[in-house]
Amino acid sequence: MTFAEYAWLIPILPLIAFVIIGLLGNRLFKKWDGGAPIAIGMAAISLILSLIVAYEALTGDGTPFVQSLEWVVVQGGDFAFTFNMGIYIDNLTALMLIVVSIVSTLVVIYSLGYMGEEGGRKRRYYAVISLFISVMLGLVLASNFLQMFIFWELVGLCSYLLIGFWNTRPSAASAAKKAFLVTRIGDIMFMAGLFILFVGFKGNLDFDYIFNNLDSFVGGDSLLTLSTLMLFGGAVGKSAQFPLHDWLPDAMEGPTTVSALIHAATMVKAGVYLVARSYPIMVKTPDTLMVVAIIGGFTALFAATMALNNTNIKRVLAYSTISQLGYMFLALGAGGYIFTKTLDPNVGYMSGAFHLMNHAFFKALLFLSAGAVIHAAHTEDMRLMGGLSKKMKITSLVMLIGCLSIAGIPPFSGFWSKDLILAAVYEGVSISPIFTVLYAMGLVTAFLTAFYMFRLWFMTFSGTPRDKKIHDHAHEAPASMWVPLAILALFAFGSGFAYLFGLNTAIVPYGVFSMEYASAGTLLVNMFTDSLTYASIIVAIIGIALAYLMYEKKTIDPARFTSGAVGGTLSNILLARYGFTKAYDWFGLRIVYGVAKVVDFIDRKIIDGLINGISAGLIRSGSFLRRAQTGFVQSYAAVVVAGVSLIVILLFLMGGVI
Amino acid sequence: MIEYGAIYPELILILFAVAIPALHMAIKSSRTLASISLVSIIASAGMVIYYMLDGYPVIIGDPASPLIVFDALAAVFSLVFLGVALVVVLASARYVESDRHLAEYYTLTLMATAGMMLVASAQDLLIIYVGIEIASMATYALVAFRKKDKRGAEAAVKYVIIGGLSSALALYGISLLYGVAGTSSLIGINEALAAQGVDLATLMALGLLLAGFGFKIAIAPFHMWAPDVYEGAPTPISAFLAAGSKKMGVVVLFKVFLVGLIAIKADWDIVVGIVAILTMTIGNVVALSQTNMKRMLAYSSIAQAGYMLMAIPLATVAGMGDFATGAGIFHVITHAFMKSGAFIVVAALAYVAIGESIADYKGLAKRAPLIAFSMAVFMFALAGIPPLSGFMSKVVLISASIEAAEVTQWMLWLGVALVLNSALSLYYYIRVIKYMYVDEGDSKDRIKVPATLAAAIVICLVATVALGFLWDPVLEFCVEAAGTLF
Repeated sequence: MTFAEYAWLIPILPLIAFVIIGLLGNRLFKKWDGGAPIAIGMAAISLILSLIVAYEALTGDGTPFVQSLEWVVVQGGDFAFTFNMGIYIDNLTALMLIVVSIVSTLVVIYSLGYMGEEGGRKRRYYAVISLFISVMLGLVLASNFLQMFIFWELVGLCSYLLIGFWNTRPSAASAAKKAFLVTRIGDIMFMAGLFILFVGFKGNLDFDYIFNNLDSFVGGDSLLTLSTLMLFGGAVGKSAQFPLHDWLPDAMEGPTTVSALIHAATMVKAGVYLVARSYPIMVKTPDTLMVVAIIGGFTALFAATMALNNTNIKRVLAYSTISQLGYMFLALGAGGYIFTKTLDPNVGYMSGAFHLMNHAFFKALLFLSAGAVIHAAHTEDMRLMGGLSKKMKITSLVMLIGCLSIAGIPPFSGFWSKDLILAAVYEGVSISPIFTVLYAMGLVTAFLTAFYMFRLWFMTFSGTPRDKKIHDHAHEAPASMWVPLAILALFAFGSGFAYLFGLNTAIVPYGVFSMEYASAGTLLVNMFTDSLTYASIIVAIIGIALAYLMYEKKTIDPARFTSGAVGGTLSNILLARYGFTKAYDWFGLRIVYGVAKVVDFIDRKIIDGLINGISAGLIRSGSFLRRAQTGFVQSYAAVVVAGVSLIVILLFLMGGVI
Repeated sequence: MIEYGAIYPELILILFAVAIPALHMAIKSSRTLASISLVSIIASAGMVIYYMLDGYPVIIGDPASPLIVFDALAAVFSLVFLGVALVVVLASARYVESDRHLAEYYTLTLMATAGMMLVASAQDLLIIYVGIEIASMATYALVAFRKKDKRGAEAAVKYVIIGGLSSALALYGISLLYGVAGTSSLIGINEALAAQGVDLATLMALGLLLAGFGFKIAIAPFHMWAPDVYEGAPTPISAFLAAGSKKMGVVVLFKVFLVGLIAIKADWDIVVGIVAILTMTIGNVVALSQTNMKRMLAYSSIAQAGYMLMAIPLATVAGMGDFATGAGIFHVITHAFMKSGAFIVVAALAYVAIGESIADYKGLAKRAPLIAFSMAVFMFALAGIPPLSGFMSKVVLISASIEAAEVTQWMLWLGVALVLNSALSLYYYIRVIKYMYVDEGDSKDRIKVPATLAAAIVICLVATVALGFLWDPVLEFCVEAAGTLF
C-alpha cells in the first residue's frame, strides 16, 4: 500500500479548492468562471489519487489499511479515552472512493455548462461544492465513528447550503431548512448510537478496534442492538428512508447538479455506507438487520408508488432515488439477517454495495440528463415537454441508457445488482415468511420502477411536442454537459460487469465472511439458469410495455386510472405524498414548536431570570461598594485598621490561641 | 572587603538618577532625558542578563542569614521592573514634556525602580523595608508630580497617609517578629519559628505584615487608596504603580510568607486564601460599575492582585511550591505588560485630549484602529481570552489550584473563585471593546499618537501576544526562579 500513505490528500485537495475559491473567488477568478477551473482541477487530481488508492486496496489481500493520529487524549483512570483522526481503507472504502470521486468530478465539469449563467453566485457554488466533495471523501475515509460523524454533519451542512443555493426563492429556503431539520432527527439517533458504543467500548470508537474486539462490549446484547438500531436511525435520516424520507423530494429545489451529486449519487449513500461499514457489529444484532430489511423493502415500494403519477421530472427521480436506496438497505439487512441464521456467506452485502455503485452512476446520469432537458426547456414539468428527442439526440440516448439500467434490463448495470438483491432476499424465504413478503415487494418495485422511468422518458422525449414554444427553444446541451453525460452513460451501461470480474469476492464484509472465487462463466450460468432471474426481467419488460402503451401508443388512456372515485382518491393521495408533508408540518408546528415554546420559557424566564438576577445583584453590590469608597482618607485609614484587626482576630481563631 | 556585585544593577540606576539633575542644567529636552534614562535601564537590564548567563554574584551578608541575594528570582522580578520602567519612560517622554521639574521625574522613576529591585533581591526584613521605602518615597513624589493639579495633589496626600500607616504596621510587625525570633533575616526567622512554634505575638506580627505589605499590592481591605491614586496620578505613573510597584508587593509577600513564615504555614494559609478570594471578588465587583477608565483599571488591578496572591497558599502544599509560585510569577509578568499597555493607551489618548471616561472611547476603532486594536488585545488578555498571555497565566494558576486540591481540598475553591471572577470581569473588559468597536462616536477624526507612546504600546502588545504562544520557556524559567525560595 504505497499510495494509501497519501490517501489523506484525497479530501485535502478539494478543501484547498474550497478555501481558495471561498476566500479569493470573485476577485481572482472574474474571468475564470468563479473559480470553476480550480474546483475541477482539484477534484480531478483527487480522482486520480482515489483511483490509484482504490486499485491498491482492491488488488490487495483485503486487510484494511489503517493510519491514525491521536487527536484528543484524555487521561484519568476509568474515564480515559482517546479520539483519533485517521484513514481506514478497505474494499468498501475503495468502492466508495471510486464512486464519489468519479461522479463529483463529472458533476463539477458538467456545472460549467449548467451553472454558466449564474454570474457572481458561481463562486459560492464552486466553493461549497468543493467543500462537499472534500467532506464526502473525508466521510468515506474516516477511521472511526466520531470522525465519520463529524464529516456526516459537514455533508449535511453542504447539502443545506446547496439546496438553498437560490436563497431568494422561498421554496428553496424552506426546502433547505426541511432537509436540515429532518436529517437532524437521524443525526441525533446516530449520536445516541455513538454514545452507547463509546461507553460500551470504553472510549474507543476506532473501526479497527471495535471490529476486532466486538466481544469486549460492555452492556450486553440488548444495548448493542439498541446502538446498531440507532446507527441505522442515522442512516434512515441521511438516506431518506421511511419515515424520514419526505425531505428528499423537496431537496430538488437545489440546482440539478446538486441533486445529482448530493441527493442521488453520494451523500444519500452515506446511510447505506454507514450500515455497510458497521456490518461486523450489525451481524451481532440480527434484530436490527431485520428492521433494516423491512424498512428498506417497504421504502422501496412505498417511494416507487409516489413516482407513478408525478409530473415533475426531478421529483420522479427523487422518489426513484428513495426507492433504490430502499433496495440497498433491503439487501444489506436481508443478507445480514440470513447470515446470522445460516452462517453461510451470501451476496446480500455485496449486492447492496454493488447496487450503491451502479445506482450512483445511472442515477447521476439520469439527473444530469434531466438537467440538460431542464436547461433546454426551462421547465421541470413533463406535461410541457414531449418530442424532445429530435432536438436533443445525445441527451435522449444517454437517458435511455439510464432508464434501461435502472429498469433492470440485461446487460445494463442495474440489472445485475437488482437481480442479486432479489436473489439474496429470496434466500431468506425458507427462514421466515417475512422474506416472502419482502421479495414480493422487491419484485413489485422492479415493475413499478420500469414503468415510471419509461413513463418519464416517453413523456419527455417522444411523441409530439406539447408546448411549441418550449420545443422551439430547446437545444442540445453544450459539450461541457454532454461529455460528462456520455462518460456516465458508459459507466451506467458497463459498471455491472464488475460483478463478473471479481467484485463478488472483493466486496465482502472484512472479518465476517469471505466468498469463494467463481469464474465469470460460472456466475453467468448460475444467474441465467435461475428462474428468479427471468421473473425480474419479465416484470421489468411488462413495466416498460405498459408505459409504452400508455404514453407512446396511447392505447391505454392514463386518465382512466385517475378519473374514477377510487382512482382519483388514490392519485391524490400519491400526489399528497401519503400526507407525509402535512404530517411533518403538523409535527413541526404543533409538537416541536410547542416543546420549543416551553423550553424557550424555561430558558428566558427561569434560567435567564436567574442569571440576570445574579448579574443585577452583582452590579448593585458593585455600586454599593463604590459608594463605600467615600474619598475621605480618614475612612480609608479606619478601614485599614479595622481590616488588620479582623485579620489578626481571624489568625488568632485559626491558630487556636484564643 | 565586601563584594557588592549583587547590587550593581541597582547602583547603575542610582548613578544615573543622581546624574540626571546635573545634566538637566545643560539639557532641557524631555526626550533627551528620557533617552538617558532608557540607557540606564537598558544598562541595568544588561547587567541582570549578564548575571543570568554568567552565574549569579556573591551574596551580601552572612551565608546563614544573608542580607541581599541576587538569584534567579531577583533576576526575573528585576527584569519585570526594568521592563515596566522602560515602557513608562518611553511613554513619559512626550507625556510630561511640557511640565516643570523634568529631571526629578526621571530621577524619581529610576530611584523607585532601584528600590523595587533591591526588594527583589533582599533576604532580610530590614532590607526589604528599606527597599520599599525607597520605592515608596519616590512614587509619592511622582504621584504629586503635577502639584498644581488638584486631583494629583489630593491623590498624593492620600497615598502618603495610607502608605505611612501601612509602613508603621509593617514596621510594627517586623519588630514583633524580631522580638520572637531574635533576627530579621527571613531564613533565621523561619528556623526560629520552626523551633519555637506559634504564639500570640507571631500571629499578631503575621497579620500586621500581611496588612503592611499587602497595602502595596492593594489587597482587600487595604485597597481603597488605589483607585483614587491611580486616577489622580499622571497616567504613566499609574501604569508604573499598577505594573511595577504592585509587583514589588507581590515579591515581598512571596518572600515573607514562603521563606520567612513557611514553618507555620498551617496557621496562615487559609487566611491568605480568604484574603485572595476577597480581593479578586471586590476588585471585579466594584469594577463593574466604574465609568472612569483609570478607576476601572485600578479595580481590575486589585482583582489581578487577588489572582497573584492565590499562589501563596497554593505554594504551601507539599511539592507544589515551585509550580504554584512560578505560576504566580508568570501571572506577574503577563499582567505587567497587559496592564501597563492598557494604562499607556489611556495616557496616549489623554495626550491627544480624549477623556478618561469609558464613554469617551466610543467609535475609537474608526479613529485610531491600531490603538483600539491594542486596547482590545489588552482587554481580552486581562479577561483571559485565548490565545493571549493572560489566558495562559490564568490557566497555569487554575491547574496549580487543581493539583494542590489533590492534597488540600479547599484549595480547589481558589481555582473556582478565579474562574467565576474571570467570567465576571469579562463584562467590564468587553464593555470597553464594545464602546470602541460597536458604538458610534461623536467625532470621526483620525487620531495621531506620538511615536514614543506608540512604541511603548507596541512593546506591551507584542509581549502580550508573544507570551500567549511562547509561554512554555517563560513559565519554566519562572518555576526555576521560584525554586530559589524553597
